Amino acid sequence: MVYEHDVLVVGAGLSGLRTAIELSDEYDVAVLTKVHPLRSHSVAAQGGINASLGEDDSWEAHAFDTVKGADYLADQDAVEVLTKNATSAVIENEHWGTAFSRKGDGSLAQRPFGGAMFPRTCYAADRTGHNLLHTTFEQALRKAVKIYSEWFVTSLVADKDGIFGLTAFSLATGQVDGFCSSAVVLATGGFGRVFGKSTNAIINTGDGCALALNSGVPLKDMEFVQFHPTTLFGSNILMTEGARGEGGHLKNSEGKRFMEDYAPDQMELAPRDIVARAIRTEIREGRGVENEYVHLDVRHLGETKIKERLPGIREICIHFAGLDPIEEPIPVQPGQHYSMGGIDCDKEGTTKLPGLFAVGETSCMSVHGANRLGGNSLLETLVFGHVVGKRVGEYLENQRRRSNKEVEEAVFDIRQNLQSLVMREEGELMSSVRMEMNAVMDEKAGVFRNEEDLQQALAEIRDLGQRFDRAALGQTDERFNYALIRALELKNMLDIAEVIVLGAIHRKESRGAHWREDYPERNDTDYLKHTLVTKEDDELKVSYSPVTLGQFEVKERSY
Amino acid sequence: MILRIARSRQGGKITHYDLYKVQFEKGMSILDVLFQVQDRMDPSLSFRYSCRGAVCGSCGMLINKMPRLACRTQPETVMDESMNLQDFPPIMGRPEGWDPEKEILIEPLPNLPILKDLVVDMTAFYAALEELRLWAEPAEGEKARNQKPDQRDKIRRYLNCIMCALCYGSCPINHESAEYLGPAALAKAWRFYDDSRTPNADRYLKDALKPNGAPMCELIMNCVRACPKGVAPGGAIRKIKSHDKE
Repeated sequence: MVYEHDVLVVGAGLSGLRTAIELSDEYDVAVLTKVHPLRSHSVAAQGGINASLGEDDSWEAHAFDTVKGADYLADQDAVEVLTKNATSAVIENEHWGTAFSRKGDGSLAQRPFGGAMFPRTCYAADRTGHNLLHTTFEQALRKAVKIYSEWFVTSLVADKDGIFGLTAFSLATGQVDGFCSSAVVLATGGFGRVFGKSTNAIINTGDGCALALNSGVPLKDMEFVQFHPTTLFGSNILMTEGARGEGGHLKNSEGKRFMEDYAPDQMELAPRDIVARAIRTEIREGRGVENEYVHLDVRHLGETKIKERLPGIREICIHFAGLDPIEEPIPVQPGQHYSMGGIDCDKEGTTKLPGLFAVGETSCMSVHGANRLGGNSLLETLVFGHVVGKRVGEYLENQRRRSNKEVEEAVFDIRQNLQSLVMREEGELMSSVRMEMNAVMDEKAGVFRNEEDLQQALAEIRDLGQRFDRAALGQTDERFNYALIRALELKNMLDIAEVIVLGAIHRKESRGAHWREDYPERNDTDYLKHTLVTKEDDELKVSYSPVTLGQFEVKERSY
Repeated sequence: MILRIARSRQGGKITHYDLYKVQFEKGMSILDVLFQVQDRMDPSLSFRYSCRGAVCGSCGMLINKMPRLACRTQPETVMDESMNLQDFPPIMGRPEGWDPEKEILIEPLPNLPILKDLVVDMTAFYAALEELRLWAEPAEGEKARNQKPDQRDKIRRYLNCIMCALCYGSCPINHESAEYLGPAALAKAWRFYDDSRTPNADRYLKDALKPNGAPMCELIMNCVRACPKGVAPGGAIRKIKSHDKE
């Protein structure tokens, strides 16, 4: 069976839904998601969304903080789009029904966030992503956007002239089918589960990045992986930066607020890369608790404020760590959180493959450069969902639908591939390969990196890739075959892990979240540029593209 | 630790239970041990998951006859706990052979058709959102609307709903009547009705009072006990019902 639509959006988090809503009035748009839209990882975002609403604030100030936070690797024209449209994006979602937290006078409340010189983070308690996603999903329902839930995309179908559509299999039936369209928008989120210690949902496996890579589209700046300073020890569930924004302290085993040694002005509200390194350094030098974590202490905020501003954090601590932050400090350690890199595209989501677009965390425009500021990722989804949706609409105006034949042929091939994977009942467990990949990435491509570790990681990831080809699913059923999904996700993650490590090996400097112990300085002469990794004839090629500079001069970065 | 897991290869009904011996470490959730089964023992076991942090609402299921999120349930505590739910068939009785002292019983969420193993068909649950048109008509203007903190407080608990359907799966009325819209959708209708910013609030109330809506609720309050997020849908339904008398 072949489905036909003008445009297909892959992923139903905030970016995908916002893009689809933009297109739904004029075009036949359909969204494919491997879960149900409300289960997308946008739902887990806690702290907030940045917008320069304050009278003394400005989009330029927001842009400056973003560019400096990015360690000057962000493209300043894209940052301008992000920050100029921030206010309207927040107001639009308020108009759609999101119940943001309020000040006493009833206007939108804003809290301080890391790396920002102004309290410009709007929030809905510490459940901002949950509120925005449910609201945006409601609007998608209102617009009757067609959604294919529990469909996993298995390949893009394209030639050098552009997109024909894609292939996907339905979890409910196990059947592979074809989807024909004039455009495809990838909005599949991040790839955090390449790492073991991650705040990300289990479903964040970078499927969109892998689809693009395997269609010859470059991935950009993939070595820039954000490690969030405060993830709950044990489960690595996110403890929002909002906890520090509201006044929470970080303390080592000696009870000292150690951030005074790393960022004396901004203290706990320095950008995430700096705080994550500070925590890792404290632990490495023996000032961690049980050699594993430090304390996030919010007790001094008092019961009332904690219950009003940080109820989600409190609930998570009670249920997942068995402690109440009103009474005890929270054990936290850095963990993978966000993917600054992604599919190489311009500030309207256009990739080098005609008809293929990218938006949100899976894209790299780049608005976050080497380090994303808290509150800018929810913002990116809504601003660029709107912008990319508009651009795709313009693209579609001039497109005639291409033939269905290529998609039908691709379906036939993918069916055979999946069949042979499913038939492989004897061999190493897929989960062993996945766990080893997680361990390699945590240990050798984490907060601190060096040549020797990275080279080892590259060899090990390549070896794991070969082991994957011999590993087995075991006995499974055709319907709701989650083992098959997890195997396909693992293949995607192995592809991405290799790209991350390769980019990290080639970038012999320290910038933002990418920290090389053997090259501890930023090197603007050689590396003020974006890394591009492209797959050609099954080989990964590394190249570079220039950073778009602008009104903010490249300077030393201190907080 | 031993899990006794309901299986249904073709869907429709539970055909049998499989026993799995899992390695348990402190801090693990039921979701963690389900992955252990799928990863190492039986890749054919199907269950939904996503965030593993009790915010996405994917992993609702019946654990020791209580509707719960697998990711937020600790095996070590579930043995001694009770939700004090009013009984209805799927949560009553014991499957043959289940030893509650030694085994944790895991079954699909009641009141929705079984598709495979622990995966249920959520179509009816989601359809209620559309039937009640549970969305806002976008406001016009350049500025955010005003809402005082105490006005927001009135709807705050309803905003916390994650649409996990545990309320739906715990409700004896949903068990008897497939047409009943269920607690989550009705609580959401109240959320829009009671939002100070909603200009056409009455339509949410009117829709919620349809014959297959709030009037069917008998205020059993299993939903309030089962809700993992403190939403208390039954309280909202009680308020909706009170408007019926006016």
